[in-house]
Amino acid sequence: MKGNPLTMVPPLDRRRFLAITGGGIGALALSACAGPITSGAAPSPTTSTGTDWSKVTPAPEITFWSNHPGKSQDVETALINAYHKTQTETKVTLVTAGASYEEVAQKFQTAQQGGQLPHVVVFSDVWWFRYFLNDSIISLNDLLSHLKVDTADYVEGLYKDYEFNTKQWAVPYARSTPLFYYNKAMWAAAGLEDRAPKTWQEFATWAPKLKAANPSAQVAHMYSAASDYDSWTLQNKIWGEGGALSKDWTITCDAEPVVKVLQFTQDSVYKHKWAGVSAKDASADFAAGAAASFVGSTGSLVGVLKAAKFDVGVGFLPGGSQATDMVCPTGGAGLGIPKAITPEQQLAAAKFLAFLGLPENTAAFAAATGYMPVRKSSDMSAVYAKTPQAKIAVDQLSHTRSQDYARVFLPGGDREIGIASSDILTQQAKITDRLAKLKSTLTDIYTTDVKPKLR
Amino acid sequence: MALPNLVLIGAFTYRPLIMNIYYSTLNWTLGSATATVVGLGNYVRFFSSDAAGTVLTTTAVFAVATVGGSMVLGLLVALALNTNVPGTNVARAGVFAPYVLSGVGVGLVWLFIFDPVYGVLAYVLRRFGAESPRWFNDPTLSLVMVITVYVWKNLGYCAVVYLAGLQSLPADVMEAAALDGAGRLRRFGYMSLPLLGPTTFFLLITTILSSLQAFDLIRIMTPTSQGTRTLIYEAYVQGFGAYQRAGYSAAISVVLFVLLITLTIIQIAWVDRKVHYA
Amino acid sequence: MSLLTLKRSVEASPVSLSTGATPRRRRPRLSTVLGGYLPLVAIVLLVALPLLWMVLSSFKQVSEIITLNLHALPRHWSLVNYTEAFRTAPFGRFFLNSVLVTVVGATLKVLLAIHTAYALVFVRFPAKNVIFVAVLVALMVPPQVAILPNYVLVAGMNGLNTYWGIIVPSLGTAFGTFLLRQAFRSLPMSMLEAAEVDGAGHLARLWRMVVPTTAPSITTVALVTIVSEWNEYIWPLIITTDPNLMTLPVGLTLLQNNESGPAGYGVMMAGAVIVILPVLVVFAFLQRYIVAGLTAGSVSN
Repeated sequence: MKGNPLTMVPPLDRRRFLAITGGGIGALALSACAGPITSGAAPSPTTSTGTDWSKVTPAPEITFWSNHPGKSQDVETALINAYHKTQTETKVTLVTAGASYEEVAQKFQTAQQGGQLPHVVVFSDVWWFRYFLNDSIISLNDLLSHLKVDTADYVEGLYKDYEFNTKQWAVPYARSTPLFYYNKAMWAAAGLEDRAPKTWQEFATWAPKLKAANPSAQVAHMYSAASDYDSWTLQNKIWGEGGALSKDWTITCDAEPVVKVLQFTQDSVYKHKWAGVSAKDASADFAAGAAASFVGSTGSLVGVLKAAKFDVGVGFLPGGSQATDMVCPTGGAGLGIPKAITPEQQLAAAKFLAFLGLPENTAAFAAATGYMPVRKSSDMSAVYAKTPQAKIAVDQLSHTRSQDYARVFLPGGDREIGIASSDILTQQAKITDRLAKLKSTLTDIYTTDVKPKLR
Repeated sequence: MALPNLVLIGAFTYRPLIMNIYYSTLNWTLGSATATVVGLGNYVRFFSSDAAGTVLTTTAVFAVATVGGSMVLGLLVALALNTNVPGTNVARAGVFAPYVLSGVGVGLVWLFIFDPVYGVLAYVLRRFGAESPRWFNDPTLSLVMVITVYVWKNLGYCAVVYLAGLQSLPADVMEAAALDGAGRLRRFGYMSLPLLGPTTFFLLITTILSSLQAFDLIRIMTPTSQGTRTLIYEAYVQGFGAYQRAGYSAAISVVLFVLLITLTIIQIAWVDRKVHYA
Repeated sequence: MSLLTLKRSVEASPVSLSTGATPRRRRPRLSTVLGGYLPLVAIVLLVALPLLWMVLSSFKQVSEIITLNLHALPRHWSLVNYTEAFRTAPFGRFFLNSVLVTVVGATLKVLLAIHTAYALVFVRFPAKNVIFVAVLVALMVPPQVAILPNYVLVAGMNGLNTYWGIIVPSLGTAFGTFLLRQAFRSLPMSMLEAAEVDGAGHLARLWRMVVPTTAPSITTVALVTIVSEWNEYIWPLIITTDPNLMTLPVGLTLLQNNESGPAGYGVMMAGAVIVILPVLVVFAFLQRYIVAGLTAGSVSN
C-alpha cells in the first residue's frame, strides 16, 4: 500500500459500523469547519456600540480573570467581598487564569475560539492592543458614562494609555512605573548626595566612586537578567537621548539615539565595568547588597523593602543628554470587558470595574501590592506614613510618558526588542547590525500582523 | 470493538493534524474570528526568517546532545549495572525513576538547583572557588542547562534498554572470548558493541523522536525560550505565547511532523531491511 | 514499502514484556564487588540527590533558602511552605482532581486498548492492517500539535472546565493498543478456537481467556498509562481556567508566579514534592512492570 499516512482516515467496516458512526463522523466533519472565517472581509461592526444601557439589567453572576499581579489574590478577594456587601444583584467569582499576563492572555485568546469567556479580564500593557485588533474587547466609553464614572479622576497618563481611535478600551488597574532604587549606605560611603542621579551621564561619573567606596558590592548598577528580555526600562534611556523605538507606526529603533544608548549600556558593562547583568533577579541582587542600585518596577517596592537589610532610597528615573523630564514609561495592567458576552454581563462587568476603580479601593489595592493608585483622589496617606518611598513613586506618575507603539502595540514586539537588547548586552552583538535586524523584524510584524487589521 | 478507540484517535489525533495543515495556510491571529488565506506564505515566512536558522540549529543541537548524552551515559550505567552484585536491581530502578516523574516538577526542582546565587550548584562551585555559570544570561548556557536536566531525566531509559541488550548477548560466545584472554575493553569494543547494534539503533530512533517532542521541561525552565527555540517550543511560543500567530505556528508544527514521520519511516525501512537480509 | 513488509517488520521486533531481566550468573569475585559497588552508589546518588534536595528544601524557611551559607538539613523543620502552597492554591482539590482524572482516564484507556487490540488480533474485518498502521502513525503525532484544533472542538462542545474535557481527548490510545496487540498475538490460536467452538462470543473469549492469560502485560500498560496521565501537563493547562478543575502539574505552575523571585523556591519545592512523591511511591512498588512497559520493543534479537 502506498498512501500518505497524514490523510489516511481509518477505513471502517461499513456494514457493521456505519450505523453507529454516522452521527459521530458527521459531527466531526461539521466541527472540522470551526475556526476562523476566511472571507477576507473585516468583521462587520456589531451592535455593541448601540446598546441602550439604561434598558439592560446586570447579569447575576460574572467571573473576573486575574493572574493576581503583585501577589494580590488576598486583596482581590477582599475587594470582591466588599463589593458583595454594597450590592446583591451580581455575584463576582475570582478566577486564577494563569501565573502571568501571558498565560491569562493565552487562555483569553483561546477562549475566543469558542469557550467560556470571562466578563472582566486583566491584561498588561503589551497585550490589550491585540484584543482590540482581534475585536475581542468592547470600548468602554458608553458604559462608563452610563455608570457616571468620574473618568477625569483617573491619573491622566495611565488612563490615556488605553485610548485608541478616540475610544477607551480599558481602565487602569495594577499600574506601575520603573523606579530608581539605591542603597543609601553605599551612597553615603561614596560621599554622594542622598538622591537618584538626574541623568545617566551623571550616574556614569558617580559609578566609579560607588565602586571604590563599596568593595563588597560587585557593581554600582545591576541590569535585569538577559532571559527576562527587559525592553520596558530601555525606553527610559532612549527617550533621555531624544530617541524612540518608534514614532507612531514608523519603526525608529535603529536611529542614532538608540545606538548611542545601547553603546552606553554595553560600555558600562564591558568597558567601564561599573554595571553588571544580573544572574537571575536584579532586585534580589540589590537586596543582598551585590549592587548599589538598579531600576525596577514600583511593584517590587514592598518586596525590596522587606528583603533589604539597609536603608533603601528611591528616585525618579534618570534622564539623558536631551531630556530629563517625562522620560519614565508607564506600565502594568488594566481591566477590560470582552465583546462576545451578553450586554447584561457587560453591564455587570462594567459596574464591578467601576467599583474596583473607586479611589478608596485603588488605595487599598495599591497599599497591598505596591502598585500605583490609579485615581488622583485616592488617599494614600496611610501608605506614605508606613513607606515614605511610595510617595516618590506616586509623584513620578505625573512625569510619565506612554510607551512606544513598537513595544506595546506590535504583538511580540516587546519580546523582539528584549532579545535584541540582551544580545547586545550579554552576547556583545554588533549594535548597528543587530538594531537593523530588529527593525526589519518589527516592520515585518507590523505589515503582517497589525496593518491589515487596523480599522 | 476497536471502534471507540479508533474514533477517538481519529477525532483527537488525525483530525487536528489535518486541521493544522489547513490552519498553516492562513494568516490567522489566535483569538481572531477572521483570517486570510496565504497559501504557503507561512512556510516561506518561516524558512526565510532569521528565526529558521536559530530554530533548526537549536533543534538539531538539542536532539544530538540529549540523544548522544543519554545514550552514552546510559550505556556506561548499563555496563556498571551488568553485574550480579547485590543491590543492582535497586540501582536499576533508581536510575530509571526520573523517567516517570512529572516534567513540571522536575523542571522546578532543577531551576532551584541551577539558581546562580541561591542554588546548591552555585554553593558547591563557590566552595571550590569557582563562580556559577550564568545560566540565564547566555542562550547557549540556558540550552546546556536544559539539556543536562533532560539527560538526567532520560538516561535511565537508555540504561535499562542497554542493560536488557547486554543481558541478551550470547553468554557462551562472551565466555569463550574471555577464555581466549581478550581483555574487558577488547571484548566490549569488538564483541558487545557490535552485537548491541540493533539496541543502539532502536534507542537512537526512539530517543530522537521523544527529544524532538520535549516540551514540559523546556517550558518550565526557560519560559522566555532563551536559547531553547526548538521546533516544538517555537511552534508553541508563536501560537500561544507572545505572538499569537496561529497560522504561522501551525506551519511550524507541520514541519515538525514531517520531520518526525520521516524519521519513523527510516526506522521502519531499516527494520524492514534487517528482516529481509538477516 | 508494502504494508506486508511493514507488518512483518513490526512483528520482527517482538516485544519483551517479561518483568525484569535475569542476569547471567557468574561467580562473584572481590574485585567485581568493589569495582561494581562504587559505580552503583554513584549512579543512585546522581538520581537521588536532586530529589532529596527538593524534599529537604521544602521544609526550610525562607531565611534558610535565601542565604549564601547553605545547610543540607533544615535547622527547624517547617511546614510553612506546604501551608503556603495550600493557601495560595487549592492543592487538596488539585490532588483529588489528579487522582480522579488519572483513575478514570487510565481505566477507560486500558479498556479501550484491550478491546482494540483484541479486535486487531482476533476479529476478522477489512483493512485491519491499514488501521493498525494508522494507530502506529498516531504515536508520532506530538500532542502539542493537536492543542488548538482540539481546543476548538472540545470548547465548542462545552467541554471547558469539565472532567470529560480533560480526559476524553487523550483517551484514544495508540501506545496501549500497540503493546497489547503484541501480547495478544503470542497467545495460542487453538485455545481461542476451542472456545469459539464452545459458542463463546468475542466478549466472553476476551474477558474469560485473553485478559486473564495476559494479565502481566495489561498491568504494565495500566501502570504506564497511570503515570503518563498523572504527569500530563499542557492539555489540562489549556482546557481549565477554574482552579476547582485543575490537576496538580497545572496547579504547580500557578505557584511559579513571575514576581515571587527566589523567596518562592521553598513553596515551589513543596508543590513539586506533592506532584512527584505519589509517582515515586507507585514506582518503588511496581517498577518492574513500569520499566518493562516503557522499554518494550527494545530487544530485537
